Amino acid sequence: MSWRYSRWSADHPLPIGASERALEGQEVRAGDVLAAGTTYGTPVRVAGARRVGIAPDDLARVMRVPVGGGVERRTVIARTGRRFARAVSSPIAGRLIHQRADGDLYVAPVVGRWVVRSTLDGEVSRSDDGCVTVMGSAWALQGIAAYGPDAIGEIALAVDTPTAELHPSRIDVRMQGRILIGGARATAESITRSHACGVAAIVAGAAPAGGLRVVYGDEATASGATTGPEAPTVLCLIGFGTAPLPRAVFAPLAALVGARAAVHTASARLFVFAPESAGDFAHSAPSLALADDWLGARPMDEHLALAGVTRFASEIEAEAVSTADGPVPVANVLAFDAPRTPQT
Amino acid sequence: MTASTELVASVEIAHEARIERVPSGAADGPVLRVIPGDAVRVAVLLGRDPQLARAMAFGALAGGASLVGLVGTHDGRSFLERAELLRDAHPDLVVALAPDRRDADGIVELAEALRFGCADQHPLPHILVAADERIRDRLAASCRANTIEALPDVRLPAGREALVARLRAVRRRAQGDVVLRDEALEAAARAMAVDAKADVVVLDVTGGATSVIHARPDGVVLGFHERLGVGAAADRVVARAGLDRVRRWMPRAVEAPALLERVFNRARWPDAIPASVLALSLEMALAREAIAHALSDAERAGASLEAAWAAPLVVLTGRLAQLPRAAQSLLVAIDVFGATGPTLISRAPGDALVAAGALAARGRVATLPTIDPIAIVAEMWPRRSAAVRVKDENGVVEERVARGSFLLVRTKGVVEIEMPRTTVRPRADHLELGVVIDARGRPLALPPRDAERIPTLARWYAALDVLPAETR
Repeated sequence: MSWRYSRWSADHPLPIGASERALEGQEVRAGDVLAAGTTYGTPVRVAGARRVGIAPDDLARVMRVPVGGGVERRTVIARTGRRFARAVSSPIAGRLIHQRADGDLYVAPVVGRWVVRSTLDGEVSRSDDGCVTVMGSAWALQGIAAYGPDAIGEIALAVDTPTAELHPSRIDVRMQGRILIGGARATAESITRSHACGVAAIVAGAAPAGGLRVVYGDEATASGATTGPEAPTVLCLIGFGTAPLPRAVFAPLAALVGARAAVHTASARLFVFAPESAGDFAHSAPSLALADDWLGARPMDEHLALAGVTRFASEIEAEAVSTADGPVPVANVLAFDAPRTPQT
Repeated sequence: MTASTELVASVEIAHEARIERVPSGAADGPVLRVIPGDAVRVAVLLGRDPQLARAMAFGALAGGASLVGLVGTHDGRSFLERAELLRDAHPDLVVALAPDRRDADGIVELAEALRFGCADQHPLPHILVAADERIRDRLAASCRANTIEALPDVRLPAGREALVARLRAVRRRAQGDVVLRDEALEAAARAMAVDAKADVVVLDVTGGATSVIHARPDGVVLGFHERLGVGAAADRVVARAGLDRVRRWMPRAVEAPALLERVFNRARWPDAIPASVLALSLEMALAREAIAHALSDAERAGASLEAAWAAPLVVLTGRLAQLPRAAQSLLVAIDVFGATGPTLISRAPGDALVAAGALAARGRVATLPTIDPIAIVAEMWPRRSAAVRVKDENGVVEERVARGSFLLVRTKGVVEIEMPRTTVRPRADHLELGVVIDARGRPLALPPRDAERIPTLARWYAALDVLPAETR
């Protein structure tokens, strides 16, 4: 099954410095801010418990600013005594970020801000300083790898057929904020142009691996790459190089043009927020065949016939299925939704 | 090992997407599972001794874990930089190494950064501490929510063994009674070395991992296991080695972007078969770089490989042993494993050797399967032309060998070689290919330009008849 309407879960890892978060149980929509926080400069260590002369475990009792709270220069963070008072004050303006086990404190200047937005319509099921998880129902399409930040927008078609290549000439600023559906291949030029035009994301059967490395750097692997918010978002549905989309995948995308959608890069999923009754999309997609030279993949005929053990050009003998283009090793044929990572 | 009448379980060996059973067919009786094991991400908090990082790298290689973050008490990073590094690393396990008492304050500082960065990680990583009790207590006070475990000094063999055992336990996780593939191979290598009364090296390359194992006849085994492979980890090989280092092994001109697409597709297509010669050549190229990096990482971690280079027996397993032609397995092995003496190279196709090793690792007595001897490789770097005499059932063949020579003498039946400047006369009962005389020198010098590199590779390929004729 390629398209599935189901209840999904999407994790949104948070950077260090979260200052506000959605609460567990809170209803959110894709694009809503789940968490916001600050990025810090070099922190300063401040003597805490030993400065005020108490045990580290008692420091919390005398603190006037909680860990995570904002401070100005000389703000009193903790204080004991009345007439002969002992106090800890902040040497810089910023945020009190951490209390050590020995009672010392770290204060860091604020140098920037960040927000994390939801990629699902649903309910917050987990919320802490490490991650906010949202669970919700949506139509979803599982890809094999996604690159860049999460993206939210409306679906727009940028190709006429599922076998077409996404050309840069089809992309302009009118597509700002949209999730573009490419066909068999999204070239590096189309990725960079779409980013320049403010396109939210590109979803295609495949993208050139070399192009992805140009855009995302050498850290980009076949499993994807997570980057900061300044990079474009690309979701590869089938493979790398060229991979025409099966009709069972492309037709619902065409039918869902204009629908709100999101790309969740960590799970390499496209979520489309349309009602379950939006269409009869949940058909099984045809199997996919990896090219003999591994240069791309293609959808196969619906009815496959075994060709028996076949000797291939590489002299490997293996079970094969027969196709119009010749036999293909059974191992190189996968269902659209087959797991693409090794099983343990 | 000897044959036993004991009931032997069937063994299931997990590959990328399929499972093979040995013996094949329906399971009859208890089944022992062999798995590659989960990837274990290890972050390390290091004291001031520069040997600690090498010792930890050694332990991680031996335990098949990935080092994802190293922070040191003297690395010059700020508290926040350390915390961000550890948070991004998302470690499954943290190892704190502070054998020197002067490291106490520094290591506690690192532990605070760990707590700040990873306090909300689920599940929280356990912390293994190799330090004295007082430092361990201070670490425990800083990271109260984490489970703290004591570890002996990893610079010593006992500490390394304890670390490897712990890493393997994490790799097994909730898998029940399973044997890790590298454990099974180490047990098999030990059994072969004891059986042959000689040093044995096992080179295993699978889709997701590469192992280099050296076993001595006294039962001592040293294994290095790296998450580099020719399948699911193929993209990691390219990330580590660089695309050009993989491409240099291709015996024809291939554009780098197209090669990268092939690598990425293979990485996301479990157990894919190289149906074309080009894909097969790519798999061979990836295998070379995976082995080369496993070896260089082992050397960088302080392992002495002198005894391994001199081992008279080398056994190839995994995908490396399943290449269609024995010459393909052989060429990959000798291109990157530069033995210092004459070596008998064999391969163990299928999973029988892994299955036997798995049973041995569980204390069962099993019969080692027969392995196929491919060739005796005589590596040399003669100052002037030297004669090598190869004696087999057909008679004696004398080959003049000069620097740069690379040739195969096909043999039949029992083979014996006489080489210059040595009294050692390597001997084998039967070889699939024959005797390979390799005077290419080490390290192998591949010209950078395609116009010179491809003819050089083509000559080596032709010498062993590696690829089907139409592709030369």
